[in-house]
Amino acid sequence: MPAPTHSQNGYTVIGAVNGPIEVQRRDEIPDEAAIEVNVRPATGIGSPKERHIEHILTALLRNIILTHDYPRTLIQLTLQILSVPATHSTLPSSSSLPILPALINTAYATLLAGSIRLSTTLTAVLVAVPKSELEAVAQKGSSHVFAFDGRGEAVLVHSEGKKFEIEEWEQACEAARGCVLG
Amino acid sequence: MPREAELSLNEREFILQALRENVRLDGRAFDDIRELQLSFGDEYGVADVRLGKTSHNPFPDRKFDGIFTISTEFSPMASPAFEVGRPTEAETLLSRLLEKAIRRSSALDTEGLCIIAGLKCFALRADVHVLDHDGGLVDAACIALVAALRHFRRPDVRVEGENVTVYSVREREPVPLSLLHHPLCVTFSYFNGGEVVLVDANLVEEQVREAEVVVTMNRHGEVCQVAKYGGLPIDALALLNCTNVALAKVQMLDKVIQQRLEEDAKRRDKGGLMAELNGDTLHKDDDRLDRTTDWLAWVSEWIEKAIGLTVGVVAQRYAVRCMGVSEGGTGRGKARARALEEGEGETVRAM
Amino acid sequence: MPLDTSTYSLALLRLDGRRWNELRRIHAQISTQAAADGSSYLEMGNTKVICTVTGPAEGRRTAQGAGQECRVEVEISVAGFSGVERKRRGRADKRTQEMQHTLTTAFSSILFTHLYPHSTIILTLHVLSQDGSLLAACLNAATLALIDAGIPMSDYLCACTAGSTANEDTDEPLLDLNGLEEQELPFLTAGVLGDSDKVAVLMLETRVRVERVEGMLAVAVDGCKRVRGILDAVVRAHGRRMVEEGV
Repeated sequence: MPAPTHSQNGYTVIGAVNGPIEVQRRDEIPDEAAIEVNVRPATGIGSPKERHIEHILTALLRNIILTHDYPRTLIQLTLQILSVPATHSTLPSSSSLPILPALINTAYATLLAGSIRLSTTLTAVLVAVPKSELEAVAQKGSSHVFAFDGRGEAVLVHSEGKKFEIEEWEQACEAARGCVLG
Repeated sequence: MPREAELSLNEREFILQALRENVRLDGRAFDDIRELQLSFGDEYGVADVRLGKTSHNPFPDRKFDGIFTISTEFSPMASPAFEVGRPTEAETLLSRLLEKAIRRSSALDTEGLCIIAGLKCFALRADVHVLDHDGGLVDAACIALVAALRHFRRPDVRVEGENVTVYSVREREPVPLSLLHHPLCVTFSYFNGGEVVLVDANLVEEQVREAEVVVTMNRHGEVCQVAKYGGLPIDALALLNCTNVALAKVQMLDKVIQQRLEEDAKRRDKGGLMAELNGDTLHKDDDRLDRTTDWLAWVSEWIEKAIGLTVGVVAQRYAVRCMGVSEGGTGRGKARARALEEGEGETVRAM
Repeated sequence: MPLDTSTYSLALLRLDGRRWNELRRIHAQISTQAAADGSSYLEMGNTKVICTVTGPAEGRRTAQGAGQECRVEVEISVAGFSGVERKRRGRADKRTQEMQHTLTTAFSSILFTHLYPHSTIILTLHVLSQDGSLLAACLNAATLALIDAGIPMSDYLCACTAGSTANEDTDEPLLDLNGLEEQELPFLTAGVLGDSDKVAVLMLETRVRVERVEGMLAVAVDGCKRVRGILDAVVRAHGRRMVEEGV
């Protein structure tokens, strides 16, 4: 079982994929593979926050994995967070963005290592837009996660933060695209 | 949930026949333990154990209430047969064995976690993450847990009446947990009607064994726990012999853990305490900034650190002057460093 | 391993007036529940257990356990009123689960499971009163119930506990601990197969010097043999009664 480890923004995540394997009757889909993502925090047991992230990832990966190639099976992805940066505890507990890029990129690497057929590549990055330096400290800016596929199209956009303008968002999107696609 | 793939009859017979001819599939002697790889994370209290392909990663962290808890939750990462949210029998047994080996044998002095009796205490939580499963789960989990507990440092506290000051890692050197002894598990597996005894069986060997005995001991020759859950009946004298073998193995493992801990301590101590106080912290953080993209979070931390450090440096100079020692003197002993630290801690709190 | 009775001269009486190598009163009955395939009621001192056996019958989860050997399933329920404090132990209680696992694996290797492929034997135990040696009482009760059910097994599995007085200079072993002694002293539970010295179950949960384990185990193994004598007498008496009554 391949287990790629990936670090980003101080978060280290190890991933493992099982699949295609036998699926439980209630989860079975007749013409495509069911996808199960398990996100496990470094400390404690999973909370609604992890369930929320799992939901995002499942929806994202369903578009990337060629699920129709594996009908009536299960692709089971486990992402174990190994370490978080010291600043993690200062973030609001509801914030799921900082960890998201590390999880997405690990998921992608894991699927590659597990020889699961994919329709395209996947890369994610976190962009933070501060209002001004002082406000940034008080976390009044906004932060965004963008994931792009191989054609450079955004496949996942998640934003958090206080109010932000559409121009800021576009700026952030361009910055992310530049970062990811070079 | 798919079931664990069972061994075929041929595989089963092959392993047993090899054992009859005194051969283990991975070439080890019968009483050999797989090579132990033990590494520690950047933070205190993270240990990564690899025993063959089995690996663990406990991460003690502190919360605000309760006592010492050990959490073992299997994820499908180790084996697809482990389902999330539904504990398997193996998981229950592992958690029971760890509980008996470490908690019931009072390896951790939980009184040392108490701050004010009945009012405040530290709560220690150890999460055992099984990353891969190739047999010897109990042994590896126990090594990981003990290593993590020995590696872990809790923040220092000071009690004045009912007021408790918890010093952050930057203010005061965190203190290690008080461990009364270091229990370690050794699992014996019996084959061929009890004629063949293996130490540290791997997954395939575990699947064909007829009985298992888990012995937990510490290096002082105390048995903390013995568990033989049924299986093939074994002669009483042979069982007693297990404890002798276990003692030798435990002493060997304990030495390896000790050695790794010392290596890690050396690695951490590189700059030394004084170097850190003299402003190295800033440089170290600068490096980290470059790597991080989530700068919202780090800017706040950086500013907080910078303020803390400035106050610290001022306090340090003040303390040094009061003590009548010239700044930057040669006596960079630990006692002095501690005195400086204390001064700093108080000033920060006074603000 | 014969016992050395010369240490009787120590005359060290225990809390309940027993000597160090005395068992508590064991009272056992078999065929207590007419509806079950096999049943038993066992008292070891104040520890009281009822056990019923259902099967061998078609398993509930045939798809999963379809093997060449029968499965042994064990359910232990501990009554809320069984201990000193009224406390409900749920099904998910890890100690109970561990005991269930112990009984399952112990009897899986002692019963002739290969005679009943694709079937399940269900052991249901109810703990009515607890006063030490709970695991031992469960094992003994299950042995009796399985004999009553007529399921072939290689020999009796008899269990008892042995402890060791904590006094450092005199290492006196004690046989068959009661609840109070269990809380104070290091002890082990051993389950021995028939008249042999072969140990099927061994559980030690308290920290103790390795040298003291040997004495405790020797006393426990000897105690198990005496328990076997008692259980055997119960089975024989029941058999005689059945012949006399022509049931």
